[in-house]
Amino acid sequence: MRVFILMIVLVLHSNAAGAETIEIKVNGLVCGFCAQGIEKTLRRNPATVEVLVSLEERLVAVETKEGQDIPDEQLETALRDSGYDVTEITRSNDSLNEIRERLESDAQ
Amino acid sequence: MFQRLLRPLGALSLIGFVWLPAFAKPIAYANGTTVMAEYGAGTMREFQVFYAPRYFLSAGLGHMALDSDVNDGSMDISYARLNYLVKRWNMEKAQANIFGWGSLGSATTSDENSNRLAWNAGLQVDYETRRTYSSFKTDYYYSASAFARRIDTLQLGVAPYEHDYSTLATWFVVQARHYTGDMYEGVEVAFLLRLFKGNAWIEAGPTTDGKVQAMFMFNF
Repeated sequence: MRVFILMIVLVLHSNAAGAETIEIKVNGLVCGFCAQGIEKTLRRNPATVEVLVSLEERLVAVETKEGQDIPDEQLETALRDSGYDVTEITRSNDSLNEIRERLESDAQ
Repeated sequence: MFQRLLRPLGALSLIGFVWLPAFAKPIAYANGTTVMAEYGAGTMREFQVFYAPRYFLSAGLGHMALDSDVNDGSMDISYARLNYLVKRWNMEKAQANIFGWGSLGSATTSDENSNRLAWNAGLQVDYETRRTYSSFKTDYYYSASAFARRIDTLQLGVAPYEHDYSTLATWFVVQARHYTGDMYEGVEVAFLLRLFKGNAWIEAGPTTDGKVQAMFMFNF
């Protein structure tokens, strides 16, 4: 039993360490041309793997390197430098592909 | 002496800035560079480069060549310009901005080879959603003892569908422009088709005079 619990704890810890996706809700996100700066700015961060932007959901999602994170202050600065205001930041284990599928599902 | 130098460039600056793409925002994003080229109804060719060190400020250089519609005159203008984001409102499904700018330039004409000096100041207020766009821009041009003129531009745009970040955006835009100072009688109207995707933007359309106006813009 103890081994089983230990295994569960290890698995959960492993997933937590791999919580590499940051979802940022953004206000003012209405123009794809103008929003190019978001991707450019966030890609400059060494912890970033990939960036997803959705005007429909007012969402910016950032996949970070394993075990790495981008502090909220840096995210807010990056979005402000791109011309937008952050309203909410959450972190999850969802991959960027899963988020992309979720957005497509919501759109249908 | 200074007034004499200002006069012709003021006139040239006035004509040249009329053709600036009023729809576009003069500041892209922090550390962003904007390159723009425009062909304006057979009378103007212009190239601009702006760099924004901060999200609220950009500076740049431009060059414009003009060929008069009414006589054989031609002119070339090189200028430096500062753009400033006065206020931005980021709403849940909309964005609104107030921009201000000023420029100082030098020009040569087909009549004289000497350089001339003039200045310009302007203000733009815009509001946009993913389906509608509206902007009002006013530009004031001054050349000591030569003229003081104002140009007001109103743009209304509608998108037939809501584009997203990775899809093509399509806009239909109507532009109305009023000039003071004996530049144009009445209101000039143009109908533009605007397309953009990624960091590339292109637009083109006829004026009510039947001439073609086109513009290309690229951010990086």
